[in-house]
Amino acid sequence: MIEITNLTKRYGQIKALNDVSFNVKKGEILGFLGPNGAGKSTTMNILTGYIPYTEGSVKVGGFEIMENPEAVKKQIGYLPELPPLYQDMTVLEYLNFICDLKSVPHRARKAQLDDILYMVKIGDIRKRLVRNLSKGYKQRVGVAQALVGNPPILILDEPTVGLDPSQIIEIRKLISALRHDHTIILSTHILSEVTAVCSSVVVINHGKIAASGSVSDFSATEGTVRKFTIHVVGDKSSVQKVISQTPGVRKTDFIRMDKDASVFMVESGHDVDVRRPLFNELSHNSMAILELRPMGRTLEEIFIDIVNKDKNSADQ
Amino acid sequence: MWTIYKREMSSYFRSPVAYCIIGFFMVLVGMFFWVRNLIYGSIYFSDVLSNLVTYMTFFAPLITMRLLADEKKNGTEVLLRTAPIPMRKIVVGKYFAGLTLFLIMVGITFIYPVILTFLIDGGIPAGKNVSGYVAFILLGACYLAISLFVSSFTENQVVAAVSGVVVLLIFYFMQSIGGTLGGTFGAVLQWLSPLKRYSDFAMGGFNLASLFYYVSFTFVGVFLTVMNVERKRWN
Repeated sequence: MIEITNLTKRYGQIKALNDVSFNVKKGEILGFLGPNGAGKSTTMNILTGYIPYTEGSVKVGGFEIMENPEAVKKQIGYLPELPPLYQDMTVLEYLNFICDLKSVPHRARKAQLDDILYMVKIGDIRKRLVRNLSKGYKQRVGVAQALVGNPPILILDEPTVGLDPSQIIEIRKLISALRHDHTIILSTHILSEVTAVCSSVVVINHGKIAASGSVSDFSATEGTVRKFTIHVVGDKSSVQKVISQTPGVRKTDFIRMDKDASVFMVESGHDVDVRRPLFNELSHNSMAILELRPMGRTLEEIFIDIVNKDKNSADQ
Repeated sequence: MWTIYKREMSSYFRSPVAYCIIGFFMVLVGMFFWVRNLIYGSIYFSDVLSNLVTYMTFFAPLITMRLLADEKKNGTEVLLRTAPIPMRKIVVGKYFAGLTLFLIMVGITFIYPVILTFLIDGGIPAGKNVSGYVAFILLGACYLAISLFVSSFTENQVVAAVSGVVVLLIFYFMQSIGGTLGGTFGAVLQWLSPLKRYSDFAMGGFNLASLFYYVSFTFVGVFLTVMNVERKRWN
């Protein structure tokens, strides 16, 4: 649906984007992740035809954006970082104006607007002036604007920024509800947002793609298990003694007693899988393992790793 | 294009902008009408219009200052640039909105020639009054195009208005500068001066070349604005 190939954007000497390539398949929700100033908004602005790129190519639904901007723009609903609202209009007037702008036929208009107002939950403020709305409502009107004309692709630049927690949850619910008939790109620097709604992730840093893949790839453990919790029948001190003596175990933390079992968090060295030796040691001491649960790295950790790795390689 | 036109028109009348401009304009018109027609007894309302030409240097930039600058400041420029509408339609729509406001201002002044016909036995001569209006409208259209172009360089309304006034002042003095300089360059300046043509036109001398001059001047102004707005797409 969206193909970005070797995209580069230069502002004078500064490369805001450097050789960025990624694809978004139909029906996918792509989380576009990166620290502030990494190039997220630049990419989105290029994708929506707001600013031109320097090199590369951007194809949306088979159309190249520089050659056929209108065909591309028709397929995209865009919510920029600041919702583009006219302060002097009421919500309904504004959305009608957007309908005009996207040439939604008059007959289909009322039904479509009613749907959108209901979905985004702004029906009760439709007659109010945009100027007088709270930040959360303005953001929702911004989302509503992107939905007008029912474009197959939605590009949302930090849609939950500045909202309170319950509003954030509602916007996320809305995005999840839209996944059925839309391809969505969502930029954010909030990692839990990605795990909550996205199916795949592109991490961008300093204008370059630092990592990409599906969300499950990211949160899954890499090869060896480095960290896990274990429930072992026995008292704290004797179990701890056995575990910490097992070769490869670097750290053993007691968490709690669970009936007759002690629960520990165990961490191993980088390239060692201690699960097998640990099993042997414990069974040798007739200590039954009731549960062993690997702890996947959180996206947060992965993200910080990636960004730091980038920084280190840049420093060298 | 009409989408943008409609929005700009409603936006003019939702803020105090249009009312202020129209009000201020009417004060001037009333004043000049009183002096020229009532005190000095001129039978030509076009005399008043000739006085107003000077003030168009200020009115045109006031009319166009917010058309483009406001979108940039508001962050709504993104909306227009990412909408499936070419920029030229947007710019032209905005220009027509400004032109309409100007025509409304001119339209209200029709009341004065009507008053004159009642005051003067035998009415007023139509020819010179009509050609005065035509010239005034053409000049206004041309000024609006110039100030719209100037305003397309900034996102600040005040800067847009002030630089518009400065540029129009240059055009205003072009005729006298050309006269002082003399020679070929001076002649070219005089030929280019919108005011020189205005006085010819307003004197009742309908002139196809001048008509063509104003229309093409306006067209070039709007065209350059479109180019300037689209420039952002390409570099």
